Parts: sequence; structure tokens; C-alpha cells
Amino acid sequence: MLSTKRSDRALPTFISLLVIGVLLMTFDVRLDGGGVVGVLRSGTQAIVSPMQRLAAYVVNPVANALDSLSNVASLSERNAALAAQLAETQAALIASQDDRAKLELLEQIYELDADEEQLGRTIANVIGAVDAALLIDKGTRDGVLVGQPVVDTNGYVVGSVKSASSGSATILPITATREGLTVLIGAQTGTLVSKAFSSELGLEMNLDVFTAREPVLAGDRVLTSAASTDYPAGLPVGEVLEDASPESTSLTSTVRPFVDPETLRFVVVLAWPPDPVTAATDDTIPEETTATTIADEAGTTTTTTTTPEGDG
Amino acid sequence: MRGRTVLVIGLTVVVAIVIQTTLFGRLRVVTPDLVMLIGILLALTRVRPEAVLAVAFISGLIMDLLGASIIGLRAVVYTTIAYIAVRTKERAELGRVTIAVWSGLLTLVGVVLLLLVGTLFGQAGVVGGGAVRVMILVPLANLVVAALLAPTFVRLVDHDRTALRYP
Repeated sequence: MLSTKRSDRALPTFISLLVIGVLLMTFDVRLDGGGVVGVLRSGTQAIVSPMQRLAAYVVNPVANALDSLSNVASLSERNAALAAQLAETQAALIASQDDRAKLELLEQIYELDADEEQLGRTIANVIGAVDAALLIDKGTRDGVLVGQPVVDTNGYVVGSVKSASSGSATILPITATREGLTVLIGAQTGTLVSKAFSSELGLEMNLDVFTAREPVLAGDRVLTSAASTDYPAGLPVGEVLEDASPESTSLTSTVRPFVDPETLRFVVVLAWPPDPVTAATDDTIPEETTATTIADEAGTTTTTTTTPEGDG
Repeated sequence: MRGRTVLVIGLTVVVAIVIQTTLFGRLRVVTPDLVMLIGILLALTRVRPEAVLAVAFISGLIMDLLGASIIGLRAVVYTTIAYIAVRTKERAELGRVTIAVWSGLLTLVGVVLLLLVGTLFGQAGVVGGGAVRVMILVPLANLVVAALLAPTFVRLVDHDRTALRYP
């Protein structure tokens, strides 16, 4: 039997709140997270984040301890695997140091300037999570802006900044985003899409290549593509899990991302594009420098040179 | 509602949100939904049903604003669960075990609703990672937390030491 005592006004209240909730959802979808919704998110984060930071000081050691306890069974196996991985990495490091020394020598000989464009990086602690989203302890005052790409400490793609307040930000991992991520597999460009309602514990994403020319093989590395507007090119995303051959002109496979967002303790937010103004103007075709030469009747020539504006 | 009741509920909601987004955001094995549970357990108190719904809505809205899902998703789901809780609370007030099972079942309905409404609004990826795991673990965790804390919570909100005492 359902209780009706003291619930006379409960039904109208319930319906009113339901309508408000659906309206809010519709607004959010229509505004795509921007406008008033973005301001509301930032404001709430600004209020709650100091408490979350405080709680994180207490919670993080406890969470780490509990995590360690849950992993204790597989600790010896992981130790052995890590030792082997360390030996391989050290060998690779020595080889790369040799190559680097040769490169520097050649650069000195040929008087080349190393044109390494370093992206600004902000290292942040993961202080919590809501659903799939991660909360970090860096915000706009640290240079973290909405839309910036986020990688882990190894440089593997994690996701992007969904919202940011002055002292905190929310990261939406690639495995949870609705939008596809444009990636490169070998010489082919494809799209990674998250799997909805994944019932498996492991992380997997669907890979679609619509203009497939060659098969993809298990173990192939998937990198961010230069065609992506959200990430710099060449960042490692994951690896192909199963072989797939083109059917007609398309190809579908499964990719396991290198990063499991649930295990992250630190992330790196990349200041990308380095200069948003430059990036915006780079999209437009630059005006060529032109020279027009006009010869007059007296035989003298006038040359007019046109150069692009100096804002890009 | 008296001022002290408002203060207790407000503090409880804030503490629940902070713990939910920090401790339980980090631990993926033990994952109760404390904020949803507060909406459920408030139905057992002497707080007016409209106020229970309002608290559930506002706390859900704050969770939406802190996360990456669309705004209103949790607010709608938490309000719905709080309404079901208000309408069915007499079935639960039989004992500590009944309250725990009732809370667990309502949480299960809440999680399923969250996944369904989330999917309707294209949020399956945000809220639906490991759907089966979430549908099993969250209600179980809420059941345990309700068994442990429900009487204390009700006594605290109602300022009544005799509330929810069973032989």
C-alpha cells in the first residue's frame, strides 16, 4: 500500500521539479555546455573545490592505502614485470642518449638551431571523480582552460578539460566523451568512439576507418591525428586489439586506450594550441607577398609590394 | 523545517557531496551513492515530503554541476527516487534490515534510471562505464551504508533519540 499521508503537495512539487530538470537538460544540450551553464559549473566548482582539496589531503593517503591493499595479490607479478620493463627501458634510454649525442654533434657541425616547440604544461593532482569525469586541483589561475588536451605523465592521451574554475577543473576522458577522436593508425586516418554501456571491466573503444586501404593489426599503435582539432598530432592514444581488414572501403576494430582514467593520480594539461590567435589565423590561407611591376611610358618602373597583416 | 534541521541537512548534503566526489571518486570498488542515499533516508524523517524532494533535486543538481554529465540528469533521477521513497516509506519502517533492503532497491532503481535517462540524452559514456558493475555494486554499498547509518541519520535530523529504535 502506498503512503498518501502528508504527500498531498508532494506530487505537484515532484512534477514541477521534474519539468525544471528536463528543461535544464534541454538547455544544457542546446547550449552544448556553454553560456550560462558553463558559468554555473565554474561557480559551483569554485565553491566546492576548496572543500574537495581539504578532503583530498585526508582522503588521498587512505585511498592509496586501500588501493594498495586491493592490489597486494598481484604485487609480486607486477614487480617482476616492472623489473623487466625497467631493464628494457634503460637499454632503450642508453641507445637514445647515443643518438641524441650524435644529433647534437651534427647540429653543431651544420649550425642548426634545435627548433623544439615545447607546449606549456600544467601538472595537476587528481583529487576526485564524478562518474567518468576527473576533478583536478588546478584551474584557470594556473592556466588551465576549457578544451585543453590532457595527457598522463607518460604523454598518453587522457581527455580534455570540460570545465574550469579558478582553483579546479573537470577532465572528461576520451572513453566517456560523445564526440569521436580523429586518430592515425599507420598511414590511415580513423575515428575512435567510446563504447556506450560497456559491461566489461577493461576499457575499449571502437575504431572506424571509413577510407581504409590496408588492414590494421593487433598491436598497432593509435596516435592523435593532425586532422584533430582538439589534440596536437602524434600523441599516443592506445593500441589495436584485434586484426581487421577493409570491407568495401571501411574498417572497424577495437582499441584499448593506454590510460585507464580510474587509476590516474596525476595528469598533465597541455596549453594547446600554444597561441590560440595563431591557431585561428593559421586556418586561413595566408595572403602571399605579391609584387606588381608597372612600366610607364617614360620607361621607369614602379613596383608595389603587398604583404600580409602582421597579426598572425 | 526548523533552522537546526535545515543546518543538519545542509551540512550532511555538503559532507556527502565532498566525500562522494573525493573518497568514493577514488575508490572504484566500494562505491555507494551517498547523495542519492540522503534523498532516500530523508523520506524516513519528519521532514515534509516537498522539502525532501527539494533537497534531492538541489543535491542532484550540485552533483551535475560538479561532473561532466548534462545539468539536470541527477537532479531528475534523485528527485524521482526521493518521491518513490516518500510514497513507500511505510513499507520500510519495519526494522533495520528492511530499511537497508529498501534503500538498496531504491538505489538500484535510481542507477537504472540514471543509465536510461542518460542514454536518452546521449550521456551513456559519461554515466554508463561498466554498467553491470555499477548496477551491482552501488545498490549493495548503499544497502550496507543504510543498515549502518540510517537510524543515526534519522535521529540526527529529527532530534529524536527514540526514532527508528526496533526491539
